[in-house]
Amino acid sequence: MWKTNLKILVLALLVVGFYTTFAHIIPQLQSEVPEALALGSSVTPDQLVAAGEKIFNGAGGCTACHGLGTRAPNLITDYKGQGAIGARCGTRKPNMDCKAYLYESLTQPQAYIVAGFDPIMPDMRKQLSEDQIWAAVAFLESQGGTVDVTGDDIKRTSPAPAAGGAAPAPAGPAMTATLDPLKLYSEKGCVGCHQIDGKGGNIGPSWDHVGSRRSAASIRKKILNPSSDTTKGYEKFAGMMPGTFGTMLSAAQLEALVNFLANKK
Amino acid sequence: MILSLALPLLQQAVSDTAGAYGHFPGIGGRGAVWIAAEVHLMFAAFVLGVPMFAVITELIGIVSKDSKYDKLSHEFTRLLVFAYSATALWGAMLLFALTTLYPKFWAHMAKIFSVSMWIYVSLFFVESFTLYVYYYGWERFRTGRAKWFHLALGVLLNAWGTTVMLIANGWLTYMMSPPKGVTAEGLPPGVTMWNAIANATWIPINIHRLIANAVFGGSIVAAYAAYRFLAAKTDEERAHYDWMGYVGNFIAISTFIVLPFAGYWLGREIYQYNQQMGITMMGGFMSWLWIVQAVLIGVLFLCANYYLWLGMGRIPGAERFVPYTKWMLLLLIVCWIAWSTPHTMIATRAELAAMGGAHHPFLNVLGVMSAKNTAVNLMILTTFLSFLIYRRANKETVVPWARTGTMIQGAMFAIAAGVVLFYGVYGYFVEAIVRIGFSVYQVLAVLACILGVSIIDAFIGRGAKSRGEIRWGQMPDRSQYALFVLAVTFTWLMGLMGFARSGIRQHWHVWEVMRDTSDQAFTPALGYAANMISACVLIFLSLVAFIFWLGSLAESAGHTEAAELRGVALPHGAKMPARGTAPVTGD
Repeated sequence: MWKTNLKILVLALLVVGFYTTFAHIIPQLQSEVPEALALGSSVTPDQLVAAGEKIFNGAGGCTACHGLGTRAPNLITDYKGQGAIGARCGTRKPNMDCKAYLYESLTQPQAYIVAGFDPIMPDMRKQLSEDQIWAAVAFLESQGGTVDVTGDDIKRTSPAPAAGGAAPAPAGPAMTATLDPLKLYSEKGCVGCHQIDGKGGNIGPSWDHVGSRRSAASIRKKILNPSSDTTKGYEKFAGMMPGTFGTMLSAAQLEALVNFLANKK
Repeated sequence: MILSLALPLLQQAVSDTAGAYGHFPGIGGRGAVWIAAEVHLMFAAFVLGVPMFAVITELIGIVSKDSKYDKLSHEFTRLLVFAYSATALWGAMLLFALTTLYPKFWAHMAKIFSVSMWIYVSLFFVESFTLYVYYYGWERFRTGRAKWFHLALGVLLNAWGTTVMLIANGWLTYMMSPPKGVTAEGLPPGVTMWNAIANATWIPINIHRLIANAVFGGSIVAAYAAYRFLAAKTDEERAHYDWMGYVGNFIAISTFIVLPFAGYWLGREIYQYNQQMGITMMGGFMSWLWIVQAVLIGVLFLCANYYLWLGMGRIPGAERFVPYTKWMLLLLIVCWIAWSTPHTMIATRAELAAMGGAHHPFLNVLGVMSAKNTAVNLMILTTFLSFLIYRRANKETVVPWARTGTMIQGAMFAIAAGVVLFYGVYGYFVEAIVRIGFSVYQVLAVLACILGVSIIDAFIGRGAKSRGEIRWGQMPDRSQYALFVLAVTFTWLMGLMGFARSGIRQHWHVWEVMRDTSDQAFTPALGYAANMISACVLIFLSLVAFIFWLGSLAESAGHTEAAELRGVALPHGAKMPARGTAPVTGD
């Protein structure tokens, strides 16, 4: 019987060894923790580009879609004869320079969708800090264009340090205390998908007359849990709305927005 | 300069991390929790999967009045008693590992789920006692109404076990998809523990695990039977374990065929909950994991079919189907190659620029989902065909419409394969969003074929003449080794999928709620993960081998005791007076 036992043992080891070896010979990709860069005002373009390349290929997860060219435009290679992203970003959107366009693409990705692609990109502020986002912008500019990101850009968009000198949160959108619904509409990125008076994106239903379609409770539920239901005609975009507004809005801001929308009859 | 600027952040990180993590020598805290959780899960899957078919087998025995089913069910349950202790031991190790190595995280979980944890422990007690009464009461409740009471105990055992699993699934899915508004401090007002348990991925995980447990339990039981077959000393024993191996493998493969559909649903829910998480899983750094998965599942399909084809050697009349098996093998291999072809090539930026993207000009054609979905559906159809001809092998149909029925069955296969191929090819000419929907049509065509053909087969076999009895026990030894490969592969696959599910959280203990700030917060590459999975698999299989050995000891003891009670000559030559029929454990 010991012979049979030995055969079974050898077989088990061979099978396990085969799978282990196979898993070792394919590309080894490790998912790194997003680093808090803390790039200051005197940061150089080279430092920004180097940090941005790491983010693009690592923590940002950008290559999952932009490295292929099917889910989203390939940013590293030529696109329809316009060159890599650094060469084409300045002409992509009217009256918007390369830096502003790339920053908007990362923070309000629904604001402009390249023709032929679906609006699937998430707001990168949910996982990257402001300096990481600017580093990524610098890296993308370096792909065929000129890097003009500076430390001042980071300073301008970063949230102010909390009282007591505590370090800023490593990631997440800026939180302001405004209760003005129209400011929130713009600040929280709602403008990227929802229209008011003909302005804004058309990924989600227009906010005009939303109060005649939904009650205040329904609007509140939809903001806090976007997947709770889907407005008729927008099934294709189900799941697109971020589920993080519960953490991006204070309770007072949420109620101000809900009241505003419920009254848009 | 950057370092000096980052100093406040580093200080903050140190303050966050202080007291949050313990130290484990050698493999680190994450490694220790990984092994404890995975081995616990493997045993848990086994002790949840086996009672399902122990009860079903017992019921078949009661209804058919065939004692071999009752014996089989009893044998399943004996394995359970020992495996149950191992499950509890590894569960305790996991708990100690979490409380000592991840105290801050565990405090967060305990704060939210404390009530459910007490319910969990209570149910574990109830489940244990039900199991002991079920197993040790086998002889006491053998006949009449008592047998139905015994069967009810088995059903209860399943109910407790499933509830325990549902609670634990609530905890782990909460880590993946917590309700909105949860913070590291706890649940927001208006959100209850029930909301945290019944989160976005809870139901799909429950369904997926329920099916996977049956698959896993079946494959381990089949491996046990294979071992006993190889060790058998009599033809009777060999016949019994050959049959047991067939039943275990049949359960494993037939439930395995529906598992991918539960997997699709889980994936869809993950995408719906968070697009970023879904992309990380399927297209991000984990995309190569699915190539490894394809290799493993290809091995499963090949071994399962190989076992069936060898099994046809012991069935009179099966020889008329043998010439087809080489074509089925060819199809399986071609599909396996297509499924295992990577879509995205990992390359340097210069290489990417030269290729004009991350796709290889030729391999890209096979690497896309159109080809992969087509391949896996054809593999499922082929395996189902193997089952069908195995089942039909020794039957000579007598119903007058047998020829027409068989032709309809053939047409169903042809239509299903045609639908799968049509949408596979058409997928290349439409946008991704449309192409994704095609997989539903392919799956429905295959399921409809399986259902339709099975129904016809049930009626076509009515009153069929036998071409000869199945010669149970007359199987070549290599067939039993195929069962071992299946068991090892299923176990490895379980570890791999566990890594996928857990790894997509990346550096979050609880997704976007509680960050992992330890020095092991990164998600490791597949090579490291494979080492850990293999370690878990070897630990589990070694312990299972020990349990099987214990089982055989118990059986020997049972035989000896029975022999003593019956007055049969004992190995040492002594003879005891007969005292009538006595309970015989494992007989």
